[in-house]
Amino acid sequence: MLKASKVHFCVKQRPIVEQISLEINPGEILAVLGPNGAGKSTFFKILSGEIKCKHGNVGYNGHSIESLKPKELAAIRAVMPQHSQVNFPFTVQEVVELGLISTKSNDPVKLIAEVLDATNTSHLKSRVFNSLSGGEKQRVQLSRVLVQIWETKPFPRYLLLDEPTSSLDIAQQHAVLSILQTLKSRNIGILIILHELNLAAQYADKIALIKNGAMTKMGIIEDVLNEKILENVFDHPIRLIQNPATGRLIVASGAHSYSTLATSKQA
Amino acid sequence: MISNLNHTKVQSQNLTLIGFGVVLIVVLLTSLSLGAYSIPFPQTLAILFDYIGLKLGTFEVQQANVLLQIRLPRIIMAVVVGGGLGIAGAALQGMFRNPLVEPGLIGVSSGAALFAVIFIVLVPVASSLAWIRPLGLPLFAFVGGLINVLAVYSLSKSQGRNDAATLILAGVAINALTGALIGLVLFFADDSALRNFTFWSLGDLAGANWSKIPVSMILISVPSILLLLNSRQLNALALGEQEAFHMGVNVQRVKIQLLLFSALIVGTGVSMAGMIGFIGLVVPHLIRILFGSDHRLVLPGSFLLGAILLNFADLISRIVVIPAEMPIGVITALIGAPFFIWLIFNLNKSKN
Repeated sequence: MLKASKVHFCVKQRPIVEQISLEINPGEILAVLGPNGAGKSTFFKILSGEIKCKHGNVGYNGHSIESLKPKELAAIRAVMPQHSQVNFPFTVQEVVELGLISTKSNDPVKLIAEVLDATNTSHLKSRVFNSLSGGEKQRVQLSRVLVQIWETKPFPRYLLLDEPTSSLDIAQQHAVLSILQTLKSRNIGILIILHELNLAAQYADKIALIKNGAMTKMGIIEDVLNEKILENVFDHPIRLIQNPATGRLIVASGAHSYSTLATSKQA
Repeated sequence: MISNLNHTKVQSQNLTLIGFGVVLIVVLLTSLSLGAYSIPFPQTLAILFDYIGLKLGTFEVQQANVLLQIRLPRIIMAVVVGGGLGIAGAALQGMFRNPLVEPGLIGVSSGAALFAVIFIVLVPVASSLAWIRPLGLPLFAFVGGLINVLAVYSLSKSQGRNDAATLILAGVAINALTGALIGLVLFFADDSALRNFTFWSLGDLAGANWSKIPVSMILISVPSILLLLNSRQLNALALGEQEAFHMGVNVQRVKIQLLLFSALIVGTGVSMAGMIGFIGLVVPHLIRILFGSDHRLVLPGSFLLGAILLNFADLISRIVVIPAEMPIGVITALIGAPFFIWLIFNLNKSKN
């Protein structure tokens, strides 16, 4: 289990993350949603171990994050940050192989082939990373991250993703989230920051809403997807409608045609 | 585990390195035989083989003396210093994630030079402390290089970002300050120290002799090997420091190691052969353009190519104005810069 309890983080006396606690079990997808600047990314960095946090605890499988060396941590959790830049002309193959830099694999060739297949990037293998399109880059980075935790281990692993779908078209967004769903059966727990409420509604098991650094609501889809709650978090009128094709709820803006931030706040 | 992942790739990397090795040997032999006092090629080989106990042909004693006492130590020095500058440049570029980085640009060379000058002024050849010079000078230069690179690094990181503009500005500022301090020290130096400095500031391999070889070999080859052991970590760093940490690299420790080893190499090189620019910048570039960015090839390749280029430049500096010598820094820049520009333009064209 990935467990964060009472995580609190201030910058210049101002709380960025306020007393957030959450748990992610293997085989579960937790989507973290919230307006821009809510503190999602800071909280994400605390979970990944990138930022050390004085108040509160983060624990992976019962081990406190401070007690884990970077190498041990890398075997338990993989992280996909929002933007990754590669400054030298590495090939896709080289980038993806790097995912294995500190984890051992019995059959790295097969492992990498499987992951490239899953993310539909096999055909890019010998291309130079920097020559790829934004969407391709994101899928290659996802492959690198997946390689790190793909193989089944005697302990559960975790995957943290910060807006992995930001430069993907609708088909690829769903493709990526479908891949993440297949990871559940690999004893992997997933935390994903998303901006697209509908993706969360369709693929997540639980949703956490964060506003102004604090957790507003966390729970299963049915509990969280509520017009009042969402309106309150995003300061924007929200309507939930049923998708005639799937029967699932769709989150739509309830604002009238050309609403601006100012008018939507009044509403 | 990964090393056997892609057999053909590893094989082609090995072939490339072997190719560089062969070119290096050819350049070394040519360089041994040519110069103000020309030694025909068969004699060159005969002398070398005689040295290891194999009779191959006849030669004169004077030829052997020139070759073994003057040229050979100089060429070994050029291999070690050139290779060191190449591999340190590659490691620093990788660490800073910036292909513009060069030991000169980020202040390692000037810091090493400042401390070397201070050492030279403080500990004159004739003083009672002269016995610590062989080891003291390179180590002192190393400290100077390290101070500067740490200053530039922390300045460039001070705003939380590691962008190229701040890095270069920090390098320019630190270099200016160091240059002023060198001037200040020279103000108090005597004439002979001044003249030494002028030659040395443009790079000078003429001072190479056997007594300097052991120290420079150890102080450059050991940290070079330690840099090689960090190649995979450098690959991870190329994706970003956060990403490297996510993948399990102890980023802080790796960075400190890279800085220490590079500063030691450059400091030793500067103290032995002066400020030889350009090698540390161009060599890793050439390797990347020609063979890709995998540091498992870039690092050893940069060592070999650095050794080749510096020997080639040294050979030219010895033969263009016989019996005088052109400063080697002039040659590296005169040949290197236009070649480099040509290469960048042509390869960019062919890629698009």
